[in-house]
Amino acid sequence: MRSHFEHLLDMKWGDLDRSIFSDPQIFELELERIFARCWLLLGHESMLPKPNDFFTTYMGRDPVIVTRKADGTIGCFLNMCRHRGNRVCRADAGNARAFSCSFHGWTFGNDGRLTNVPGYKEIYLEKLDLAAHSLVPVAKIDSYRGLLFATFDNNAPSLSDFLGDMAWYLDMVLDRRDGGIEFLPGVHKWLVHTNWKFPVDNFIGDSYHGPVSHKSAWVSGFEGMPRRKSGYGYEGFQVNPGGGHGFGTRWAENRDQVFEMSLPEFLDYEKGRLDESIQRLGKLRGLHFSPMHGSIFPNVSLLWQGSAIRVWHPKGPKLTEAWGWCFLDKAAPDDYKREKALHMLQRHGTSGTWEADDVDNWVQCHSASEGYVARRYPQNLEMGLGDEIDDPRSIHPDIRGRLGKFQSEINQRAFYQRWAELMDDVSTPAVPDMSRKACQGESV
Amino acid sequence: MTSMAHPDMALWFRVQAFLVREARLQDDQDLSEWLSLFTDDLRYWMPVITNRVGRDRGKEISPFGAVAHFDDDKTSLSNRVKRLQTGMAWAETPPSRTRHLIGNVEILNVHPDGELEVRSTFLVYRSHLEYDHEIFSGYRLDFLRPHEDQWKIRRRDIVFDQSVVTQKNLGLFF
Repeated sequence: MRSHFEHLLDMKWGDLDRSIFSDPQIFELELERIFARCWLLLGHESMLPKPNDFFTTYMGRDPVIVTRKADGTIGCFLNMCRHRGNRVCRADAGNARAFSCSFHGWTFGNDGRLTNVPGYKEIYLEKLDLAAHSLVPVAKIDSYRGLLFATFDNNAPSLSDFLGDMAWYLDMVLDRRDGGIEFLPGVHKWLVHTNWKFPVDNFIGDSYHGPVSHKSAWVSGFEGMPRRKSGYGYEGFQVNPGGGHGFGTRWAENRDQVFEMSLPEFLDYEKGRLDESIQRLGKLRGLHFSPMHGSIFPNVSLLWQGSAIRVWHPKGPKLTEAWGWCFLDKAAPDDYKREKALHMLQRHGTSGTWEADDVDNWVQCHSASEGYVARRYPQNLEMGLGDEIDDPRSIHPDIRGRLGKFQSEINQRAFYQRWAELMDDVSTPAVPDMSRKACQGESV
Repeated sequence: MTSMAHPDMALWFRVQAFLVREARLQDDQDLSEWLSLFTDDLRYWMPVITNRVGRDRGKEISPFGAVAHFDDDKTSLSNRVKRLQTGMAWAETPPSRTRHLIGNVEILNVHPDGELEVRSTFLVYRSHLEYDHEIFSGYRLDFLRPHEDQWKIRRRDIVFDQSVVTQKNLGLFF
């Protein structure tokens, strides 16, 4: 069976079969083999400051509740009553010790336990196994420097192994200052009529589209960084740490070049924090690399300078729900945080002056994947193929992973390769048949 | 602050006409003229709506300073208009066709300095390219500062009805 999906990406030419964006059966398999297996981002610990705080989100297409239990630990459960499947929580966020189903009244503690069933004595004659009907918990939950992840796969590697060297690079966001980051309260949520892989592809390695897609924003006061004007030739790399993750970064030789990349309104802050970052992260991550964009496999994206972090929730082959947060250095002064938040809100998200043009591009690319004739012609991902940096360690001894030139589709190719690996992996399903019959080993 | 339990009809009529003209300027893409209706110390804000139950009901509208759909001043709003006028704002090329229907206009307060506090509802239809068509609904709270024999909008709070924005972008104005 292995070898089906890997053929959809032809690494000799960099051709990608467009059906992976539009085929409903492929989408269904993605829910099983990608989203039920991988570690998925839930949010940030700062979203649950107090005991009994909760928020709801999605893991793949499954709605989940994330709660801070009374003992302070964090739990994550399917937002599904075990009786008929009704959502037991209709709120986006709040504070609650228990969730009571609005259908028949089954009530679950915020640790997931089924604590009350109307008619437990009179109707069920105390036979209903309460413990076996808790809210369905995730298999594993963990956080990396405040970012909360969970997976439904008992056999998943640890979060640390899943992120691999990407975690080390994420420290450039999460650990550049004492105290790390916090999320600005609130999240943008909006629907995009495209396949979830288009935005991930765009963020993971597409430094190429900016000068065209975003020109209108850059010339109107919504610049990302001043050195944009140098066109396609500016210095930097696409970094591929493996695992299907990746990011694009600018390269600075020295402090002055770091400051040249700063917008004037942030320059004082950049000058004030740079030494601390170099001290915490070392020269490669603290000084030379100034990352711009990246994605964490499968569906998280980041804009380092844009202060934006995203989850692309898959809703269907042609429908994605984007969730966007704004992250800020916790130790930053309030006026900087405010300015940085405005920078993000006016560029990225629902009314973003950069965002709108990206979205329309993804929507149109997606719709091309639906035409029969168009689907005969693959997407082109050949940029930088065979033109990787041979010895990344010659650029800097600390570099981890593979390195492409700044304009290279190395990260997109690696993303789709990882995607194909998981799609071709037919070993154990992450979530087996959970019927009681199957669990007791009876033949089904 | 004077409560206007019975706002006078002439004032209401003039405010209504002001808001209708403002809506027409947007629908006609006359955005430079539209911008001139705002004061230089403008606050143009659209909070995010979240679904809340029980004791948390009061948190439905996100507070100022949190993630918002719009958090603009005159400069950034002008830059948004400038962007649309570059001819390279691809998501608005060609521009959307919109109808801003403004209704339920109420003058909530007339402040001693003459500033009006006006609430109105909007229903905006947008058609773009071949098939994209969307309706946006919500209400606005405007603070209208007297200017010559008209007003300028000093502050506009826009409360949008959706928690998840089902439209492809909020690349238009309200």
